[in-house]
Amino acid sequence: MGQQLGQQISSALHQSLHRVVLVLASFLPGILAFLLALVVFTLIGWAISALVRTLLSALRFDDRLASHEAPGSAVFIADWSRSNSPTLLAARVTFWVFVLVGVAIGISAFDASYAVDSSYTVFLLPYVAHVTGAILILLAGSLLSRFLARTVLIGAVNAQLQYARFLSHGIKWLVLVFTAAMALDHLQIGGSVVELAFGILFGGIVLTLSLAIGLGSRDLVSRSIEKNMERPAPPRPTEVPPLTDSTPPRPKLRHF
Amino acid sequence: MASTSILDDAALPNAPSAASRAAGDVLVCLPTIPADGLPSAFEAIASAFPGESVLVASSNPPNAANEWPSLEFIPYARTLTEVGWVLSVGDYAAAAHIVADRNPRAVILLGDDHAPLNPPLLRSLADAVRTKNVDLVLPRFNLGPNDALVNSALLYPLSRALFGVDIHLPLPVDAALSSRMAQRLLSTTQRLVALNQSSLLLWPVAEAAIAGFSVREIPAGDATPPSPPPSQTDFNTLFTTVASSLFTDIDAKASFWQRARSLPLRTPVTPSASLPELVAASPEIHSMIESFHLAQDNLQEIWSLVLPPQSRLALKKLAQLPADDFTLEPDLWARIVYDFTLAFHLRTLNRNHLLGAMTPLYLAWVASHLRNVADDPTRAAQAIEITAAAFEDEKSYIVSRWRWPDRFNP
Repeated sequence: MGQQLGQQISSALHQSLHRVVLVLASFLPGILAFLLALVVFTLIGWAISALVRTLLSALRFDDRLASHEAPGSAVFIADWSRSNSPTLLAARVTFWVFVLVGVAIGISAFDASYAVDSSYTVFLLPYVAHVTGAILILLAGSLLSRFLARTVLIGAVNAQLQYARFLSHGIKWLVLVFTAAMALDHLQIGGSVVELAFGILFGGIVLTLSLAIGLGSRDLVSRSIEKNMERPAPPRPTEVPPLTDSTPPRPKLRHF
Repeated sequence: MASTSILDDAALPNAPSAASRAAGDVLVCLPTIPADGLPSAFEAIASAFPGESVLVASSNPPNAANEWPSLEFIPYARTLTEVGWVLSVGDYAAAAHIVADRNPRAVILLGDDHAPLNPPLLRSLADAVRTKNVDLVLPRFNLGPNDALVNSALLYPLSRALFGVDIHLPLPVDAALSSRMAQRLLSTTQRLVALNQSSLLLWPVAEAAIAGFSVREIPAGDATPPSPPPSQTDFNTLFTTVASSLFTDIDAKASFWQRARSLPLRTPVTPSASLPELVAASPEIHSMIESFHLAQDNLQEIWSLVLPPQSRLALKKLAQLPADDFTLEPDLWARIVYDFTLAFHLRTLNRNHLLGAMTPLYLAWVASHLRNVADDPTRAAQAIEITAAAFEDEKSYIVSRWRWPDRFNP
């Protein structure tokens, strides 16, 4: 009885092992096809992006673009760093387009080699597109948040606001939270939970900033009034101090 | 290398007689002057050049031109920029086009100064070009101890150290040009327009230095340099525009100034013993130091991208000093400016951010300078000279960093 039970267990294990090996054996060509497609298209993308870069450099694409830029444009091409010039941007976009095409073809090849009646491509390809979109949203949001945070920080410091760093962090996190919510929404993860969480977080940050600035300003305003009642407030560094009758006339401060 | 010196009125030989001059020997390009001020301006020009035929380029030519028979009026359109009180690319270009057409020997360009025209100064400017064969003549205004601080902190020291030109106000409000200098500036303006950079300021002193033209400054008597008009008093905008233009020009002329080139050796400046000691910080100075402290607490992340550790350490020590001991050493200031110039060239970060992050450091220099000069003109002149000398001494620093930026990167 015990021997028979052992044989049945052994048989069941062997059968399941056999099935797993069969699945892996049918899976392996798909993975290899995916990797091959990815590698080949990456190499093609690298070659074509190098070609694009050489061609645009030879045509002095950056200079031409800068010279045709409309005056007053919000983004000055001439201000782009050399590591982020329009030529390099075009080359990188070309490269990544080929990588993405490689991924799409790899998934298709994987699907074709795995099983005749499977429909992985139907689910995977749109999701890869969504993931790519979400990554791009995150990248753009991250760059924008850093840019805005620095702009606010420098502007606030030059305006002599004591809470400059706080303002800067507030702006940064507002943009990051907004970006994260957009990315999750794009991936269709979380559904209404994300919307709700985003609303709470965004509203919370705005409320915190408003309260902090309001309370800080109250103190600032009261101190300013007190100072004004006692003596004239010192001028801001970029202003010319007003002269009073009690003080001897000093040479006016002129930066230009 | 451009030769420079100061010409006194007395040093100028007597002006040639009217008979020896050709008609239209001098061209005067007027700024935009209100209609009621035009007659006195024309009168001033006519009295500056008695018996001479003078070309006057004006955006408002008079209806009754026969009131001033010696003046010949030419239409002239000025282009106002963000810093409209100084001469713009459009001003130089418009004047150069007239020069190409009428070929005067001397061109006087006047910026938006609302003070009445000064006939002796006009005469001196034109005569320096005509009789001394000088290519670029700039007036040297009477600077008070607290005047033209951006000029004293940045423009003059950088122009002197990098281009070897000892002109105290290198961003001219008024200027006199020879015809070949006007032609040179025309080609520069055309290049800037082609690059869509016509909103930048043009630096004629650097252009003259590169071309090997002679540059002079002549005393402007008691006249003070004109200020920006009330509509252009936003300091941050002006500072960003002027510094950005200067750094762009330095970037474009890097191959010139990297070659060894400096002014003749001078006697080192030592502060006079009879001068008062450093003054205690006024509320105005306190405010600037406070601005620096705020930046020291908040802008470390940005400064660390631009400044090497030694400079940041020196700034940290500076921030710990009490206001009455606050002194930003000239050599440290020179290295800071050079570091920002390099970061501007390398586009280490957004250029508006870069110049915004430089503003508190400039205010720290102003606070230190004001304490140092104590409202004393002699002391101010010495301080400016010491600052400029520090920029010359530290020139090797920028040359090294420019050539091998990674070697110094933090």
